[in-house]
Parts: sequence; C-alpha cells; structure tokens
Amino acid sequence: MNAMGLEGGQSRVGRSGLWPDWLPVGVAIMAGLAAVSSALVAARPAQASAEKVMWTFARPHFLMYEPRIKEWNASGRTRFELRLLSLPAIERRMMASFLGDVPSADVIETERRPASRAFGGPVEAVGFVDLTDRLKKDGLLEAINTPSFSPWTSRGHVFGLPHDVHPVMLGYRADIVEAAGIDVSKIETWDDFARVMRPLMVDADHDGQPDRFLLNMWETNQDHLELLLLQAGGGFFDEHDRPILDNPTNAHVLATVTTWVAGPARIAADAPNFSAVGNKLKADGYVLSSFFPDWMGDIWKHEIPSLSGKMKLMPLPAWEKGGRRTSVWGGTMLGIPKAAARTPEEFEKLWGFCKELYISDTFTRDLYRVGGIVTPVKKYWNDPIFDEPNTYFSAQPAGRLYIQLAPQVPLRNSTPYNTFAMYRTVDALVRLAEEARATNRYDMPTLTKRAAELLKDAQRQVEAQMSRNVFLTGGAS
Amino acid sequence: MSRPGGGVVSGRASSLRAGATPWVFMAPFLVCFAVFTLYPLFQSVILSMQTTFGPGATRFVGLTNYSALVRDPLFWTALSNTCLYTLGSLFIQLPIALGLALVLETPGLKGRGWLRLLLFSPSMVGVVFAAMMFALIFEKQTGLANQGLHALLAPLGIDWSLDFGWLQQHVMPALIVASLWMYVGFNMTYFSAALQNVRKDLLEAAVVDGAGPVRRFFAVTLPAIRPVAGFVVLMSLIGSFQLFELPYIIFNSTAGPDNRGMTIVLYLFQSGFEVGDLGYASAIGWALAIILLACAALQRLSARGEEAGA
Repeated sequence: MNAMGLEGGQSRVGRSGLWPDWLPVGVAIMAGLAAVSSALVAARPAQASAEKVMWTFARPHFLMYEPRIKEWNASGRTRFELRLLSLPAIERRMMASFLGDVPSADVIETERRPASRAFGGPVEAVGFVDLTDRLKKDGLLEAINTPSFSPWTSRGHVFGLPHDVHPVMLGYRADIVEAAGIDVSKIETWDDFARVMRPLMVDADHDGQPDRFLLNMWETNQDHLELLLLQAGGGFFDEHDRPILDNPTNAHVLATVTTWVAGPARIAADAPNFSAVGNKLKADGYVLSSFFPDWMGDIWKHEIPSLSGKMKLMPLPAWEKGGRRTSVWGGTMLGIPKAAARTPEEFEKLWGFCKELYISDTFTRDLYRVGGIVTPVKKYWNDPIFDEPNTYFSAQPAGRLYIQLAPQVPLRNSTPYNTFAMYRTVDALVRLAEEARATNRYDMPTLTKRAAELLKDAQRQVEAQMSRNVFLTGGAS
Repeated sequence: MSRPGGGVVSGRASSLRAGATPWVFMAPFLVCFAVFTLYPLFQSVILSMQTTFGPGATRFVGLTNYSALVRDPLFWTALSNTCLYTLGSLFIQLPIALGLALVLETPGLKGRGWLRLLLFSPSMVGVVFAAMMFALIFEKQTGLANQGLHALLAPLGIDWSLDFGWLQQHVMPALIVASLWMYVGFNMTYFSAALQNVRKDLLEAAVVDGAGPVRRFFAVTLPAIRPVAGFVVLMSLIGSFQLFELPYIIFNSTAGPDNRGMTIVLYLFQSGFEVGDLGYASAIGWALAIILLACAALQRLSARGEEAGA
C-alpha cells in the first residue's frame, strides 16, 4: 500500500474500470494542460499581416514612415507593415536570420554598427542583397552624396540605401558668446577656438575652478573622439578596412584632446549626451559648445527646450588652416535581406518600396521637418525648405548650413571591427590623459610621442582580433 | 476469466509501469534539458574550435581561439577585474552580511522584522534599475556621491572635487559599493537562517565555560553555520564571476574607461555579439566554466578537509 492507500501503483479510477491502466493521471493532466494551452495559443487572432514587413529602430522614423506606408498600401501595391524594434533587437534578429539563412523582415532599416556586423564574413555570405549594380543602373550612385555610401560598402559592394549625410557642426551658446562680443566668424582652427573663446571660461564662485568650459568633450567620449579623428583625416581603418590606428594624425589629435581635457590649457568638460545630467549641465551653461550632427538639433529641441533661440551653429574649427570644417556622426541605411528577395520579382517589389520611401522629395521634406536631417540625394539640396529659419538656432537656416558642409563629410569604413578599434583608441586617450595629469606634462611633443606609443599598442590589439577572422584575412578555405 | 500465470505477467507489467512512471514525468524536462542545455553545451565546445560566420562559412581552427585567449591582454584585464570584484564580494560583502545577521539575531532586538525588510529590499530591485541608479549617484558634478562628500567635507576644510571620477579612476570600488547595496541583505538572510539553527544549549554551555562573545562566535557559531557559509561563498563566487549587467548598464554597453569595468562575461558578450567572433566567445565561456569548476572543486575539497578534521 502506498501513501494514498492504493496498491500496486494503480489508481482508484483505473481499478474501477473507468480509467485506462496505461495512462497515469498525472500524465493525463499534463497532456490535457499542454493541449489546452496549445489550442489557446493557436486560437489567438493572428495579426493582420501585410505581405511584407519593414523594421525600423527609431520612433521618429516610425512616425514619419507610417503615413507614407499607409499611402503606399492604399495604392494597391504590395502591402507593407512597419514595425518598431529596438536597435539591439534588430541586430540580434537580423544576424540570427543572416547566419541561419532564414527570413526575418523584408526590408530592414538599421544603423552603422549593426549593419557592419553583417560584413564580418565572406562577401558572398553578407545577408543583404548587393545593390551596387542596381544603384548604378538607376543612377543613384551619382545622385547620392558619395560619403553616405561608405558605411554600407564592403569590399567594393554597396549593401544599403543611405538615409542621410549627418554632417557635424559646432552648436554654441550664442547668447553668452555674443554678449561677450566674440565674433565666431574669426575662428578657423581649433587653436583659434581655444584662444578666442578662452575669456568665457570664468570662475564665478571664486573657488579656483572654472565654472564654465568651452567645449563638451571628455577623454571617454567615443563618438566625439571618432568624429574628431575623421575630421583630422585620421581614423581607425583605411579604405580597404585595414587598421591604421597608429598614424601620426591620430597621435596629434589624441595629444591635442589631452590638452583640452587636462592641464593648464584645459577648455573642455564632460556634459554627457542623451542624459538628464548632461542636459542640465548644458542648460546651465557649464559647457558652451557641443558637437552637432544634423540630427542632434531635434534632440536638443525636445530635451533642452530652454535653450531655444540661444543656440547657434558654426562649422567645426579645422585642424589646420584651410582644413575640413565638418565631420560625420551616425548613419542609417535601408537594406533588403537576401532571404526576402529570392526571385527578381520579389527584389523589384522591395526595391521599388525602398526607393519610394527614401528617394523622394516628400521624404526629403519629412526627414528635414521631423528630424532636421539632410537628405543624401543631392538634387533635393536646392529645396527651399533648407533655407527656412530654425528658431532653435536663433533663426539660422540650419539645413542650408549643413548642406554647405555635406560634400566635405569624411569617408568611413564598414568593418565590424570599428567599435573594437574605437574602444582601443579611447583606451589610449584615457591613459594618455591620466598619465599627463599624473606627471603634469602637457607639452605637445611629449604627449604626441606617448600617444603614438599607446596607439601602436591599440593597433596591435586590433590586428590580433582581426587576424582570427579567416574570412577577412583571406585564410578561409 | 483469467489466463493461467496472468497474475505474474500483470504483476511484472505493473512493476514495469511503476518503474517507467517517474521517467514519463521527467521526460519533458529531460527532453528540454537535452535539447536546450546538453546539445548547446556540446556544440559550444565545437564552436570554440571554429571561426564561423554561419553554417555556410565555418572553418575548424583547433585550439587557436584558446591560445589567442592566453595571449590576449584584454582577457587578462577582464579576468583580473573579475577577480578583484569577486574578492570584494567575498571579503567585504559576506562579512558585512554575516555581521548584520548577527546583529539581527541579537536576542531582544526591537524592530527586527522591519530591519530585515529594510536590508533585504534592495535585492528585490532589478540589477538594471540599480545600475542606472548608481550611474547617477557616481556621476561627476551632479552625482549624489560627489555632491554629498563635497557638502559633508566642506566644514572640515576638505575640498572634495565634484569632478572626482568614481566611474573613471575608481571603477571597481564603485561596482563593489553598488553590489554591496544590492546583495548584502540577500546574503544576510542566509546567514540569519543559519544562525537561528545554531544550538542554543552549546552557546549556553560555552557561556557557562566562560567563553566571551568572540570565542563563542569562532568556537560555536561559525562551525555551526559553516555549511551554509560554504554555500553562500560558492554562490557569491559564481555570481561575481558572472558579473555583466552592472558594468554593462553603468558604462552604456562599454567596458568603461581603459576597460576598468571589463569583466569576463562582458568580454564574452563583446566578442560574440559586438564583434561577431562566436568561436572566440565560446572559448571565453569555457575558460570561465573551467575557472568556476576549479573554484567549486577547491571549495568542496576544503569543506571536506574541514569535515574530516572536525
């Protein structure tokens, strides 16, 4: 007899003849629960599915595309459904589908870093359709600002339709700068910037520390460092995606930035982007200028509305006289996964949709109106919308200012090792700045020499990491 | 009517059924375990010896990933940071947790329940939330830590800089402080439970024999709670070696300045899911598994040695 008073493991119902001996009650309950829950899941009303699905990662993009996709669907063409996912979710799902060669979305809008992940294997294994020939055929390679293709170009093949240019300017507190009688048009180089603006660094509470700094920059800020390196003509990789971290230009930039963030000539302080803390410091005038890619204005407009009418834009000071007055920060593309375009007909449907979405005058205006972003399609650059005064930037025609700089935007790489290289370069800058603080040595020759050594070490680490990828080093069989 | 010998057959069948029943109940788990744990585990060993970009682009590289790991300065940075954090957990967090448990188990203590709730409540908060909170607390200029120290030390004539880089030059101490806040109360509950089971007659006998509080703690209490303490140490060790969310959130998905927040699991994540080197990430995972197994084995050996010596 067991604890339940039953003999031989038989259930009471079994012995009564109403229940089959071979089926234990517990198993039956579990099977019943499984069947009921499966039926409930299966009976859930399916989402009204369109024929094709597009993923995007940014809510402003979603809001901008939604009405346009409704119009597209109403026109009787292949129906599309737009879905908003977080960027990491897009990255994971996109890579899972590419590596497993299974379908995900039919059209994917993504940023530079996730897109570069797709370029880590053999070129024929890239999960996006190679658009190079089609871009040539449709005349888009000439129509679109050339630097905008660079983050989506791997080994000579273009895998994405560019969404933007993202030139960078310097946004500054015009209310404070102009009240001090400073004329920013006299600033041509970073040296000029430090010299002309320095009187604005004040110690209002007389505690021996400045309460205001000229530039929002810190040695740990990767995005700022990358854009400065690119502006100077340095960077992490050459046009063939070979690492070039230890070049003299990078060493010069690292040494200069060190003098900005530490030592007697310090002009910069940390007011983190996209954070309440940083926004407060910016609103309080703790930093007087920040790097402004074209998309940043919209963010400030919403997050720091108190600075509306107090800000102005100016081209970035150059690294040397006559040098580049802009850089680039951020980037988005539209790509078609191979698994979604297995036949030429399928590709045509998707390509038609992509072009309608990105390469149209309506999109150009929406893009600028909603996000302040300048289209990469050069023929639309004459649109009067770009000349409209922008109230946030003290009525400056922000669009026109960005467009004037768009052709100067530096080229970028598409390697998946860019983030790794960026981390290592920032490590070098952090060490350089800390060593300078510890030794109190801020002369440029010493800093440049040490920066070169640290960058050599960073270069070695990137090379070691890349050497394991037999698909990019040519060792794959 | 029954067949001759049918009773025996029926008995055997019944006994077979009775033997099979547990397996039938366990089958769903076993199937899931085999499919989602054993197979991936086996596959990850293979993956750690490959360079891969999906099934269509895979190459066997033998032990290259492991040899690269040994030569990789970032891996050693990650390992040393993780060890530092683990030491902080073991030698700061656990003694504090035990101390708090001892205080809470003091006979006649008023408000014991409320204190327990107060100390335990941080562990009910999600790690992501705690990480975001500490990122704000340790912020330069506006952070509570710098502002608080600035205000507290000013009357003493000490000018605490608002630019003090908690999350730049003092990353591991900052992470240890954050984890103290989160886990001290949690570990305290284990120690509290163990302390409640310490035999009162032994403690009373020790008092009668003239043993002071320190002697009673080391001679009676500590040996009595040793099995639980061993378990807490092991779990803290494993948890510390798996540190990921805290630095990941605080440093906005990076490893912090000069990799000072880099941990083994964060490096695994960066290698596998940011660089896309899944083979190398698997090798890091196995290195971590071997380290943890070694720690667990050492802990068991030392526990057995103590049991044998007792």
